[in-house]
Amino acid sequence: MRRWTVAVSVALTLGAQAISIAQAAPDFSGTWRLNQAKSSRAIVGNTPDIQFASQLEVKQSATDLAIVATSVRQQPVSAVYKLDGSKVNVQAPEGITESGEAKLNGTTLVITSRRSFSSPAGDIVVDFKEVWTRTASELTVEKTRTQSGDSSTQKAVYDKL
Amino acid sequence: MRVILALGRIFVGILLATLSLQAHHSFSATYDGNKPITLRGKIVKLGWQNPHAHLYVDVTNADGKVVTWEVESAGPTTLMKQGLRKEDFVGQEVIIKGFLAKDGTPTVNASSFTLVEAKKEFVNDEKAP
Repeated sequence: MRRWTVAVSVALTLGAQAISIAQAAPDFSGTWRLNQAKSSRAIVGNTPDIQFASQLEVKQSATDLAIVATSVRQQPVSAVYKLDGSKVNVQAPEGITESGEAKLNGTTLVITSRRSFSSPAGDIVVDFKEVWTRTASELTVEKTRTQSGDSSTQKAVYDKL
Repeated sequence: MRVILALGRIFVGILLATLSLQAHHSFSATYDGNKPITLRGKIVKLGWQNPHAHLYVDVTNADGKVVTWEVESAGPTTLMKQGLRKEDFVGQEVIIKGFLAKDGTPTVNASSFTLVEAKKEFVNDEKAP
């Protein structure tokens, strides 16, 4: 009886650890395509509130997260983030300077970045925060844009290809 | 003579259709989705026409220089559905959120704007054609 109790305890402990590890390190690798029907209405159509990429190519390793974000008729944006949260440069289109950092937080991935570019109104600085979560077939990205003290948040859902 | 007139009508029809298509361009063809911008200024002129109304807004830069921006919005019908009238605009202070034009000119596509004094907000939810 005692052996059984010990065996069950060990199994439960190992199982809990395995679940914990799985939850702590979700893998976002894959090709993800924007599903407009499942996303916020304000991000689709002719006048998006916040721009989301049409497609995301993500490659994740134990230490890095490489993302290539492409959109129709827009220059792609790519970055290789370090998952320890250290700051990296984002490969943005010409005329845009951007740096950011990514960190896994339980079952979510949080990417924060700062983008700057010049305009006829002077230099513009925009802060972004993206919170990623996933299921087997869907990636949800909640993106907050902060500019001139004003913030807005929208949600996009991507299907795994 | 009838044939010439018919051909003339067809030509004018094609020309008008082409102009309409050029006016009703897609967002991504003209604007840079990677460059969001927020502007605050005074509306000095209004282009109240389909398919897009255009606001001309004087914005004062940090260095004191005034730049007139062209702001593309939704068409008058869409604006009127949200309670805005032609008379609501000129002379009003406005806060615009949108995206810069790709060509570097002071042109922006408005995803939303707020008429400050009238406390009227417009959120553009036009779907892509």
